[in-house]
Amino acid sequence: MKKIALLLIVILFSSSCRKEDSNNFDGPNLNDLFGPFSIVETIKINKNTADFPSDNELFFSGELSKNTSWVITIIGETTGAKRTLTGTDRILSTDNAAWDGGANTFPGFGLENAFIEISFPKEENSPVLYDTVSITNTKIDNGYLITSFENGEGANWSKFNQTTVRGQIDCGTGESAKGNCHYGFNGTVPWDWAIGSVMVKPNSGTFGLPASASNLYFNMAFKPLENTGIGNTFLQFWFDEDDNGDGVFDEATEDRFIYEYWYEQGGWNLVSYKYSDIQFDEDGNQISTNGNGLPEPSKLVSINVFYLANKDNGNAKALIDHLIFTTNKPYTP
Amino acid sequence: MNRKVLLFLLIISANLVIGQQKKFQINGAARGYFLSNNLNLDESLDSVTTRKANYGHTLLDLGFSLTPNKNTEVIGMFRIRNELGGFWGGGVSFDVRQLSLKGIAGNVVKYEIGDIDLKMTPYTLFNTLEEGVVNEGDVFDLRREIVHYDMFYGNDNTWRMQGAKMNFGLEFGKHINSIDVNGFITRQRPTDGIAEPERVYGGGTIKIKQSDNLTIGLNSVNVFDLTETIQDSIQYKNNVHTFDVLYNKNITRNIKVGLKSEAGISGTSYNNYIDTRAPESLEDWFYDVALVAHIKDKNIKMELGYKDVGADFFSAGAQTKRIDYSRFPGLYQQITNSAVGRQISYTDMISGNTENSFKINEQLLPYFAGYNNISPYGIATPNRRGIYVNLLRTDSVKFRNSFLNASFMSQSRGTGTVNKKNFILLTAGTDIYMNDFFGWKKQLKVDLGIRYENTTRNGEEYEKGNLNSTFIDAGISWEFAKKLDLLVGTKLWLVNGTAYVNQRNQFNTVVNFDVIDYHFTENTYAAGMRYRFSDKNTLSVQYQVFDIQHKQSNSVDYGISQFSFLYSLFF
Repeated sequence: MKKIALLLIVILFSSSCRKEDSNNFDGPNLNDLFGPFSIVETIKINKNTADFPSDNELFFSGELSKNTSWVITIIGETTGAKRTLTGTDRILSTDNAAWDGGANTFPGFGLENAFIEISFPKEENSPVLYDTVSITNTKIDNGYLITSFENGEGANWSKFNQTTVRGQIDCGTGESAKGNCHYGFNGTVPWDWAIGSVMVKPNSGTFGLPASASNLYFNMAFKPLENTGIGNTFLQFWFDEDDNGDGVFDEATEDRFIYEYWYEQGGWNLVSYKYSDIQFDEDGNQISTNGNGLPEPSKLVSINVFYLANKDNGNAKALIDHLIFTTNKPYTP
Repeated sequence: MNRKVLLFLLIISANLVIGQQKKFQINGAARGYFLSNNLNLDESLDSVTTRKANYGHTLLDLGFSLTPNKNTEVIGMFRIRNELGGFWGGGVSFDVRQLSLKGIAGNVVKYEIGDIDLKMTPYTLFNTLEEGVVNEGDVFDLRREIVHYDMFYGNDNTWRMQGAKMNFGLEFGKHINSIDVNGFITRQRPTDGIAEPERVYGGGTIKIKQSDNLTIGLNSVNVFDLTETIQDSIQYKNNVHTFDVLYNKNITRNIKVGLKSEAGISGTSYNNYIDTRAPESLEDWFYDVALVAHIKDKNIKMELGYKDVGADFFSAGAQTKRIDYSRFPGLYQQITNSAVGRQISYTDMISGNTENSFKINEQLLPYFAGYNNISPYGIATPNRRGIYVNLLRTDSVKFRNSFLNASFMSQSRGTGTVNKKNFILLTAGTDIYMNDFFGWKKQLKVDLGIRYENTTRNGEEYEKGNLNSTFIDAGISWEFAKKLDLLVGTKLWLVNGTAYVNQRNQFNTVVNFDVIDYHFTENTYAAGMRYRFSDKNTLSVQYQVFDIQHKQSNSVDYGISQFSFLYSLFF
């Protein structure tokens, strides 16, 4: 028994040297929390001329003395489009500081100069870095573009405007959410909430959308300008589907899904929702249609954007732009 | 008429006691405790807080022990407590303080069911003493006993739990003298039926006594959730398995030397937790080996040891702190006009105003680095390695209990940096019986204790730390008249330096650090009188003054003076 005990002791001693854990430590790095801040390698963008269709994306690179919060803000000179990149890593690279040419929200970037500002908000007295990039070609959207109003009205489109309302495509005003043109409504309708609408249709057949509604998002830019405020302004989207495939939409026998979007805030809003959600009302109840009741994007033959505003509030004015369908996720401008 | 009724009851009671002398026993405790507090704080800093706070209570713990047969005992204890000022039922509480059954099955297995006290080794199940005690004087000790008694903190570091335990022993003729087997199972938490599964704590030890010289123990404790007690399948587990060896040998008639050691592993897992912060499993190990010597004629015991406790070694039963320092004390919880939360101080501990653990905790509770930075979770504090020396001399006269302990530790893994903290801890104390020097019959005892702790870390400027904490604990008890003692004592803390204190999440992962500059002195002075009706029956009055002074202008200096009256009886 004594021998066993001694053996145990020998084993204990022989195995008792803990492997040196000199490269690891518990918790966050004290250097990141309390260490001095400096820019070890200056932060710069990899190209000062951006051709996004060919470049795919630009990226920033550089090295800081510690992991700390950094903010890169890119602002379009003409459009005012804004993109913010943030992170806390000590080393900036294509993995954490890449820009695909998109903006945080509408408006998107155009062919313009973009001003870059790099700051470190948690570091007192830290420098702010500046740079400029020239966009020679904007990013290509992934999705099914219905219209960005850049090419005028389609052959099959139809419009409705109250007699006192001007509803049309405007270009070159510098107000567009994307590109150079948008559609605007402007007028006073003291007798009715209905201001005007534009029904967008393909030149022939359907829009060529995929069959599945569950991963397809409808997106549009909306900018209420006058007669705004919660409860005063909303949009109705009419999605007409040619259920029987005869090339003609019959409201009496086929699906017209009407989806409402009410005013949320001023400025450009990204209206985005899953196409499969248009079959439900705001309470989640199935809405009644005259067709098969199923949202089927591949049968979509027209989208009517109907602008409505409080008739008691005077003049109503709003802009819409960039109708696009995306798969799997909402559109990023 | 009243006299007749009283006489009748007396006769009945006497008959009951005589008739059931061995089958029914009564024991318990009674207490009357009154405290009057006064907050001393500059009026310009605090014009809001009420300065006076008086409270107190009387209570009776009435325990009974029934022995229905020679192998079975039923123990119950009721507590009747009346807050001072609560008349005619107001403020009165009536609780069951203890209920347990114990006995011997088949004349072999001892068992106990209900409220049980448990303790194993310092790395498995051990209720470590709170901070602020180094051989303290009687003036503090008699009040601390009240807190310990109420919280079931036994003198032998036991935890009170609810469950069952059993024990049996086997004796052998050859090779092995005896084997003792202990086992227990307790319920730590009932399920809420929704999100928290029932939590159980169980384990045991097998102690093999090979001879008078050699004893080997195998120990295991396990916290685990019962998975089918809720719909969810989450399960927490903390397993600790250790073995300990105690070997002694007389090398001369007068000197015994030996080896004392314990080593083991722990494993902690959070199975099926949705929270991504939960580590799937953490494993680590420890060992603690010491050479021991006992010089019998000098009454000196020595230990020279080395230990290494891994950073991920978790043992809920051994690392639970008695005091949760993240909670504010019950008295004067917030002070100043800005209602700043008041940090726990020593005066709160001794007055029972702290948030105390009544069961083991799976989380490492926050600690106060100014009081204890080297071993906040007791001997089993994780992430410590180094040597220690303990010397103890016991005597029957003059310096009766003298000790000197020294530890030189470091972290085994850095926190926030690869540079590790280094710790030095020196503790010394003695009881000086002055009456032995002068030949007085009546006792004049001086209790002295000192604790010095130093923490350093080198490295870059933002990593450097240097924290010094010095604690002096002294007391005098003088029996100046028969059974009447004069008691005085002081506790002085001097803390200077910077500490980087770990902030842990609920999974014990270090997520941040509190960088705290400590520059304060905390002084507690107490004086009082105690009359001893017997060893278990005392009456005392005390006046205690406490104050804390900071060097930093952004900390609040204040004091609390306290008058207390305590009548204590154990029967």
